[in-house]
Amino acid sequence: MTEATAPERSALPLTPGLTAALLTLLVGALCLLLQPYAPWLIAYPAGWTLPATEWVGGGLETILNTIKPTVRWFSWAISFPMSWANWVLAGAPWALVIGTITAIGWHLGGWRMALLGLVGFGFVLLSGYWRESMNTLSLVVVSVPLAMLLGGAIGLLANEVPRLRNPLQVALDAMQTVPTFAYLTPLLLLFGFGPVVGLVASAIYAAPPMARNVMLGLERVEPEVKEAGIMSGATRLQQLMLVEIPAAGRQIMVGVNQCLMAALSMVIIAAVIGGFDDIGWEVLLTMRKAQFGQALLAGLVIVTFAIVIDRMSARLALERERFDPRVSWALFGVGVATAAVLALTGTATPPDGIFAGAADAVDQTLGTFTAANGTALDAIKNGAMFYGLLPLRIGLDEAVLPFTWGFQWTQSMSLWLFAAGALAAMAATLTGRAMTGVHVLIGVGILETGVANLPWPFVLVAAAALAWSSVGPRFAVVTVLLLGTILVSGLWERALLSLYLSGSAVAACALVGGALGLLAAVSKPAWAILRPLCDMLQTIPLFVFLIPVLMFFQIGEFSAFLAICAYAIVPMIRYTREGLVTTPPEMLEAATASGATRAQIMWDVRLPYAAPTVLLGLNQTILYAFAMLVIAALIGTTGLGQSIYLALGQADVGLGVSAGAAMAILAFIADRLVQGFAEDRRRVLGLS
Amino acid sequence: MQDGPALAVEDLWQVFGADAASVFKSVHAERASASATAEALKAKGLIPAVRGVSFDVAPGELFVVMGLSGSGKSTLIRSISRLVEPTSGRILLEGEDILAANTRRMTELRRSTIGMVFQHFGLFPHMTVIDNVAFPLKVGGMSRAERHAKARPILEMVGLTGRDDAYPRELSGGQRQRVGIARSLAGDCSVWFLDEPFSALDPLIRRQLQDEFLDIRKRLNTTIVFITHDIAEALKLADRIAIMRDGEIVQIGTPAEIVLKPVDDYVRDFARDVARGRHAKVGSVMRADTGGIGPDDPGLTPEMTLEDALASCMTLYEPVPVRDASGTLLGVVHPGDLAAALQADSA
Ligand SMILES: Nc1ncnc2c1ncn2[C@@H]1O[C@H](COP(=O)(O)OP(=O)(O)OP(=O)(O)O)[C@@H](O)[C@H]1O
Ligand SMILES: [Mg+2]
Repeated sequence: MTEATAPERSALPLTPGLTAALLTLLVGALCLLLQPYAPWLIAYPAGWTLPATEWVGGGLETILNTIKPTVRWFSWAISFPMSWANWVLAGAPWALVIGTITAIGWHLGGWRMALLGLVGFGFVLLSGYWRESMNTLSLVVVSVPLAMLLGGAIGLLANEVPRLRNPLQVALDAMQTVPTFAYLTPLLLLFGFGPVVGLVASAIYAAPPMARNVMLGLERVEPEVKEAGIMSGATRLQQLMLVEIPAAGRQIMVGVNQCLMAALSMVIIAAVIGGFDDIGWEVLLTMRKAQFGQALLAGLVIVTFAIVIDRMSARLALERERFDPRVSWALFGVGVATAAVLALTGTATPPDGIFAGAADAVDQTLGTFTAANGTALDAIKNGAMFYGLLPLRIGLDEAVLPFTWGFQWTQSMSLWLFAAGALAAMAATLTGRAMTGVHVLIGVGILETGVANLPWPFVLVAAAALAWSSVGPRFAVVTVLLLGTILVSGLWERALLSLYLSGSAVAACALVGGALGLLAAVSKPAWAILRPLCDMLQTIPLFVFLIPVLMFFQIGEFSAFLAICAYAIVPMIRYTREGLVTTPPEMLEAATASGATRAQIMWDVRLPYAAPTVLLGLNQTILYAFAMLVIAALIGTTGLGQSIYLALGQADVGLGVSAGAAMAILAFIADRLVQGFAEDRRRVLGLS
Repeated sequence: MQDGPALAVEDLWQVFGADAASVFKSVHAERASASATAEALKAKGLIPAVRGVSFDVAPGELFVVMGLSGSGKSTLIRSISRLVEPTSGRILLEGEDILAANTRRMTELRRSTIGMVFQHFGLFPHMTVIDNVAFPLKVGGMSRAERHAKARPILEMVGLTGRDDAYPRELSGGQRQRVGIARSLAGDCSVWFLDEPFSALDPLIRRQLQDEFLDIRKRLNTTIVFITHDIAEALKLADRIAIMRDGEIVQIGTPAEIVLKPVDDYVRDFARDVARGRHAKVGSVMRADTGGIGPDDPGLTPEMTLEDALASCMTLYEPVPVRDASGTLLGVVHPGDLAAALQADSA
């Protein structure tokens, strides 16, 4: 046990952080030593778990069955506007729809937006997915007003009844951290198969951003403006309707934009339930049939939708220029006229896709490409799996096999590894960085064991230690309690698997995204390229990320890993750059005047200053990774995401909701931890 | 209307903090003076922002409340208008106890009786100038054509014609405050609250608006409570001035009384930078006994400022007579007193 005693020998002051780290190390080492005698230290024994998922399932089913009649009635009521919207959108001649979108585009943003609408919807038409697209759009059209009503009501309620503010905030947080698929299972039970599930799920999912922005907007209305309303003799209702809500208009419009995007995203995700001939379903179907050209095309249609809706509705929140309404009417008129001419000439049905050839070509090219480069692609995949992901997951002791690494991991190698770690730790401690030393040792231990095989007492203690030093003792207790819930509910193993996959994705994102953010901060051309790419990646609905990775790497953990990275890397890039470029100029000038080189300025001035912002980026990256983890279950992951997805297939509410809650717990803890560290850094820098 | 004061404030307390009302009640009952109560409240972590303030404002009077930043001026005006609920005290608005008024009555009062102007204007960003001004009429249920017709002459009165359809963001600071003033006047208010209406403006515009404000005031003859932290502004506008410190009123008096007879150093400090001669009148240094009048009569009247009086008595050393417009002798002034009054603050 040299490794544990080495740091203690030095006469360094024991800060609380160091104490926590040492305690963690001690527990880890004990677990490793005792493992042969007490295997229950590693694998939490099944006998100690409670049938929590069944209880949750039973309880929920009772509740759900009680409210079912009401809900079914609601479902019946909502099916009317839905079928009307569907009838209007899918039934209207395509020329009319495109004309209307173009006219709205002009109204919102002049010729740029008009052109965007025309080209975007023109592409949708030519893709041959017109009918499916209109089905999707009609779901969005009905769910967004619902979400806006729901979100607006929550926002207003929080505004009017201050006591409800905090509980509502917590509820909104939960609504957004519970993974998307987890919503679907109880809804499925309530509403039965069909598009209403997607509709309601997207209304629920899209309500929080609306509520948040309504709250924020109302809160930010200048106090004097509110008081001027009161002193003018407006009743409370008049104050709200005539003064506060209009004055908060911009912020509320930001909410509308986010609400639209969330609704679109969820409508597409809900396609996994099936039963509705929409564009998300088309992506799934073609993906399953390995028709990647078609899947890509359908995916592009979704992306086009997302971009058109996002850019147009984003205009709502900007200072409005006034565009000549006559042009809008003219554009609309052109749409009507074209529709009439097409109807008269009997060619009103949307054309078949003109890209079918292109899609086939993509398939073929892909076929030849994978045939030609199959070995290379496999090499990439296997390399990443065998030398990266697998050791992280099951540890060096199990992952290093003659078959892959060319030799067998032995007991003595473990000892050597630990000895090397202990030496490094000792060196770090002697040079005054005891904390680094302890971290190195813990890292070595994790590498040897593998995340999925970590002893549970160690994980609990480590999480508590982190929680303690980041937020405080109370949060440490909360963390242990929450993780304990996962432990006893029998979802522990899966939670660790989820932790491993999202953890490695986050680590990769932090490295690559951090580097790209750094690059973007120092080089304008690099940012000019990265920025639209980031915008694009953030607009794309989660689903679509799966297509390209599937095309090259087939189903499996590596593909899931890549998809998660592709989605979660954006905040890391953005925030890193943001943090670095916002260093106050006088600080840079002072550093330059002191004779620091560019590299020294970057390392000693800009990076420390950017640290809190970068940490917030990391926080976002973690949340993004968790969100994508569930979607990635579609293409083969293990862990909680998979459970949620399976539960959806089997309509197993207990499992679905418990696994969803477990995932939300992990996300919640990670979120608070990183926020805590960011807050700490800000305090050190005197920024808060 | 009744003959009493237009606004009477009696022992008004505004305490901020958790459970302020009940803590105040128990603390106040046990203590004799306002300052003792305030100390006890502060010891309990509460903020006594207004401490037992009382004053009357006569109909048509322009009453200025002055004090340093944080002395509780805004809080005072906000509790009088019930933007915050006073902790204790009585407020009589034209004889009506408005702390007893219910929400509906308060709304009514705000539509018809009370007008308010804010330091940062508080204009509605999403409404045009005319809609801003007509807003109190709109919430009162007046039709669009009617309220616009009523708002236009008001806009004219504050010197804003032709900008009806502009939005607040398109106006300069001075223009914005004109809109704010116009809006507060739209309801034909008889009691007018202004919380540092000109503090956010630069000095030139401020002076211009002060002059226009006096003009408007002459025409409307409303009762006014005007808040400022600028002594020059207070002296220029006020009929009477109340000086606030730490939530209490330390002195109420006419501009001359404030300048010439400050009750303590706090008030004296305010007046230090003021050219007293311009604000104090001959009447304040006049003596009633008419003995020993010298041969010269420079023609002093009680309303003359000390500065002007001194200018016309430069070469005189003996007492001079003070007469009213009809020439009746009212009293005498010793030229030495004039000089002494002007120098009193440097002592
Ligand atoms: N809602 C509130 N809650 C707690 N304390 C308050 C509140 N409003 C005002 N205060 C406190 O009351 C005191 C008086 O504030 P007030 O705004 O009335 O001062 P003021 O004289 O108007 O100053 P200024 O010239 O800066 O406007 C301050 O200490 C302030 O912090
Ligand atoms: Mg104030």
